[in-house]
Amino acid sequence: MDRETLLKALNKPSPYGPDVDLSRFNVGLAGEGVLEEGEVDKISSRLGLGSGLLRKADYLQVNESVLSKFMREKLTERGAVVLPTSEALKKLDWVREYSWRLVKPDTDKYTAATKLYGNELGFFIYVPPGIKIKDPIYTCLFITRKEYAQLLHNIVVVDDGAELNLVTGCGVPDQPLGSLHVGISEYYVGRGSKLTYTMIHAWAPDMVVRPRTVVKVGEGGEYVSYYVIYSSVESLQTYPKVYLGEGAKATLNSIVVGDGKSVYDVGSAIVLEGKDSAGEILSRNLGRGSSLIYARSRIEGRAGPSRGHIECLGLIEGDNAIIESLPEISSSSPEAVLTHEAAIGKISEDLISYLLSKGFSEEEARAAIVKGFLNIEEPKLPQQVREVIKRTIEYIASKAVG
Amino acid sequence: MLELREVDVAVGKRKILSNINMVVKPRELHVVLGPNGSGKTSLLNAVMGIKPYEVIKGSIIFEGSDITQEPPHVKARKGVVVAYQIPPPIKGLVAGRFAEELMRRFNVESSYAEVLSEVLEVRDLLSKYLFDKMSGGEKKRLETFLTLLTKPKVALLDEPDSGVDVESLNRMSEALKVALSKGTSMVLVTHSLHMLRLLRDHITSVHVLYGGTVVHSGLYDEVVPSIERYGFSGALTQLARMG
Repeated sequence: MDRETLLKALNKPSPYGPDVDLSRFNVGLAGEGVLEEGEVDKISSRLGLGSGLLRKADYLQVNESVLSKFMREKLTERGAVVLPTSEALKKLDWVREYSWRLVKPDTDKYTAATKLYGNELGFFIYVPPGIKIKDPIYTCLFITRKEYAQLLHNIVVVDDGAELNLVTGCGVPDQPLGSLHVGISEYYVGRGSKLTYTMIHAWAPDMVVRPRTVVKVGEGGEYVSYYVIYSSVESLQTYPKVYLGEGAKATLNSIVVGDGKSVYDVGSAIVLEGKDSAGEILSRNLGRGSSLIYARSRIEGRAGPSRGHIECLGLIEGDNAIIESLPEISSSSPEAVLTHEAAIGKISEDLISYLLSKGFSEEEARAAIVKGFLNIEEPKLPQQVREVIKRTIEYIASKAVG
Repeated sequence: MLELREVDVAVGKRKILSNINMVVKPRELHVVLGPNGSGKTSLLNAVMGIKPYEVIKGSIIFEGSDITQEPPHVKARKGVVVAYQIPPPIKGLVAGRFAEELMRRFNVESSYAEVLSEVLEVRDLLSKYLFDKMSGGEKKRLETFLTLLTKPKVALLDEPDSGVDVESLNRMSEALKVALSKGTSMVLVTHSLHMLRLLRDHITSVHVLYGGTVVHSGLYDEVVPSIERYGFSGALTQLARMG
């Protein structure tokens, strides 16, 4: 794609989410980003990843600096590759086949900016055929700079019959930065392979966040995602899209906990391209403060037999939060069976009364109900990852009262 | 232990119970009988302090202290716990984890939980979300289990028998006996004469609630056979004749 087209695309807003003037942000602050262990721990604890992240993260990027010394050697021993995307593109010719193929650089201003100014920072992970990496791979993307644009390009390739469990934590210290995070993610799940992808976001009230994710799942493959955002932001907009081949499956779980004056426009889409494919989208949205949450979800049936289901639930605390739930099902195949359910409400007084009668204070009752509401059990995730999510949900529930 | 003194209860401006008096001593089992709509559930909810039931006159004394206006969770922590007639489903809250939390809060030993769990056959229910996708009988067994699990000093049991099969009724009665033997007192609202027969030897007193007030209190042999034979209104006429 030529530079002129990309420069033109810099003025192309996203069809969803508030438009943002990109000139607010600076790019290319190379050399910044070395953090003391205590600072890293502060951010990682906000992400439910606990302390000691410097020792366990497989990929840690702070601003534009990749702290590559933390990449695990044992992955390399098994033939897996974990590299900064820029390095992977330089060292391995074949990586280009996967770069900017699922996400077009001129999709909108955020993709264009990443292509033009991102310097291909981000992570590249490759898992060879038949290699099953059960232990989660942790990738962490932090921002500490003010008015800075972190523009990332991540590529994950899980080759045929392989497995990868990826956990990404994106966050900032709990302080004003006024920065932008864009993450372009292109994920390829091969024939009969499996990728689970857990992403936890902890931002600050003045952050602008625009992840762009497209996933292609081959025949008989499986993709499971689990997304949690619980902090305030200025605005966050994302709409990951998953294409399923024959017999492929996908489950997309998302938990959005809105707060402050934040705008969250969080979607999920599954395209059932192959026969016998199946997709499910589960979302839980908790609106607090004066937050505005758009919960979009869409399943397209293009082949059959196939099936898809959307479950989108919203809970509003207080009088000023708004949740708009927008489930869509669309089919061009008579053999695609697509269903959806959506509901929005407040915490039922009956539930609170019940828990009061068992000795819970009102605050404890609300926290327990919120925790239950946000609890999407995902047995396909590794136990360690479920523990991370559990800790995060408990943290959210403890804050989501009053 | 628990004493209701001339209690009137209202929902909003409407008075629904008048001049209720009851004294429950340690290890006693009091039964409240009455036709549908007589105010049995309202009475238990009012004692517990569950909205919208409000005690507008009289007092509730527990272990010498006036707890009339205490919020439900404070009463529960002191040892007065109600078992709901129809507990609400709470999605996402796993029954087993909730049970563990109650055990932790009320400092209950696991051996007691094991016994109750076995008697009430709730083991399979503990992996489910609380009261979600359960039959009526399963909900009753689980709610009775969770209530007794708190080792209450006084358990207020609201029709644990309704919609329950005979086998489960037997189990329910066994569980109540276990709790009684551990020192729990009970106020049991029921329609099941079968369950009363099973608990007969443990029943201290039977109170008949009719038209929003307790019209008669007496021993099992005095009250229950008469109700069984004549129904509530007929039995009350008979009991009045007997003085």
